[in-house]
Amino acid sequence: MNQKIRNGFSSVSLCLCGALLFLDAAPAYAMHISEGILPFDWAALWFAVAAPFVAVGLKRLNALSRDDLSFKPLVGLMAAVVFIISCMPIPVPTAGTCSHPCGTGIAAILVGPFVSVLISSVALLIQALFLSHGGLTTLGANTVSMGVVGSFAGWFTFRTLRRAGAGLATAAFIAGILADWATYAATSGILAAGIRGNDPFWPLCLKIMVAFVPTQLPLGILEGAMTAGMVTLLQKKRPDLLAKMRVITEREVANHA
Amino acid sequence: MHHFTGDIHTTRHFLTGVDARVKLLCVLALLVMTVSCRGCVFPLLVAALSLGTCLLMGVRPRQLLLRFAEPFFIAGMVVLLKCFCSGTTPLFTIGIAGLPLTGHAEGLREGLLIASRIAGAVSVVSAVGFATPFTELMAALAWLRVPRGFIEIALFAWRYLFVLFEDAQVVYCAQKNRLGYAGYRRGLSSFGTLAGALVIKAFDNSQTVTTAMVQRGYDGTLPLLKHRPFRLAEVAAALVVVAGMGIVWKL
Repeated sequence: MNQKIRNGFSSVSLCLCGALLFLDAAPAYAMHISEGILPFDWAALWFAVAAPFVAVGLKRLNALSRDDLSFKPLVGLMAAVVFIISCMPIPVPTAGTCSHPCGTGIAAILVGPFVSVLISSVALLIQALFLSHGGLTTLGANTVSMGVVGSFAGWFTFRTLRRAGAGLATAAFIAGILADWATYAATSGILAAGIRGNDPFWPLCLKIMVAFVPTQLPLGILEGAMTAGMVTLLQKKRPDLLAKMRVITEREVANHA
Repeated sequence: MHHFTGDIHTTRHFLTGVDARVKLLCVLALLVMTVSCRGCVFPLLVAALSLGTCLLMGVRPRQLLLRFAEPFFIAGMVVLLKCFCSGTTPLFTIGIAGLPLTGHAEGLREGLLIASRIAGAVSVVSAVGFATPFTELMAALAWLRVPRGFIEIALFAWRYLFVLFEDAQVVYCAQKNRLGYAGYRRGLSSFGTLAGALVIKAFDNSQTVTTAMVQRGYDGTLPLLKHRPFRLAEVAAALVVVAGMGIVWKL
């Protein structure tokens, strides 16, 4: 009897592994923490953590749009761009899967980290409602990982490197990489805290991080290259836009011209 | 809109006339119950009811499958992760590349609970997404005191999402036809250019849109949809649904 049960479970586990391999080869948008995955108390906690950042973002938005009426439409359109970028599948050669970039690194570089948090929360809300990427209960958690951690990591890296004298493309490249990797590290932590039950936190967190590595390690580099490409294009075609966003100074625009 | 929900918002169904605020409150109550549930039955019941509602509204099964592909993938991963990494009571052992992996009963139980919560929560949010146009949902969120600035950014994003999406498709096709994605290095460069072109278009569009809106009286705030008064029948029906589900949840 025991042998039969063992055989049965072996077959089931083989099927599971097969299904896993099959699913792994298909386009998988394992980016946001899915709806319903976090228990109520954790979901509420992450909403509470995200709320002050969104509030500051809104305050900055209102202050800036009082001076320039086009700022709100611009932020809305940037949210649409972040949405589109994070919906674009990129093939990841090491894992044989597709994943997608976050887009918050570039948003933070262009409009600052707090407004970038607001942008990512709007993009996440639309994705939750109409694509089932992320969710309403996990909106706070996803805003913290993608918006807060991703934006601040990208913005801080970019500013620090620029102050240290790095070129625009180099700073954007490293900022893009770190924004992406920081997002996934935060996602792993939030996910592990939410689903661990009675298990210890760190082993589970490390296992989730390791599970993300084959996809996210190369994807971070791809996102860095994409961010650098974007900034380089903007510098070539529209340096005035970068100057308006205070990414480069007027003197650099004049030098470039 | 068509990209995400097909033509479901243009067809009339039994939830078309229901106030978005009632639908949203109902969904929020069900979500709270689903994520705070300690058993698999309630979330699966919510999933079954929500999927049934979607099918009754006329949502095509293929659309539902596409919508559920990602959450179900994640649910599967969570079940495997919990099964092999949590618990103490061995249930089965398998070997992958010479490494023995032991599945545990407690882990499997916890994994299945999380998977059922994912199924329930995703289904109920999908149902409200299919049943309600975006502008109505935003007006309902404004009624729930979500900050006005957030709603306005969401409305701008939604309005120009499809314009930018189509622009992105045109640029992508042009790049692809010129072998812009032949090889990873070239693909990366093309993708960066595409994303940069989108930012430039977003900036230019924001200037044009602001000029056009200012000429039509825009003073920095967007008008939202006006709500009609609540109808007693739909509020009563929503209360019956939530109370009924609440009783099942409590059991």
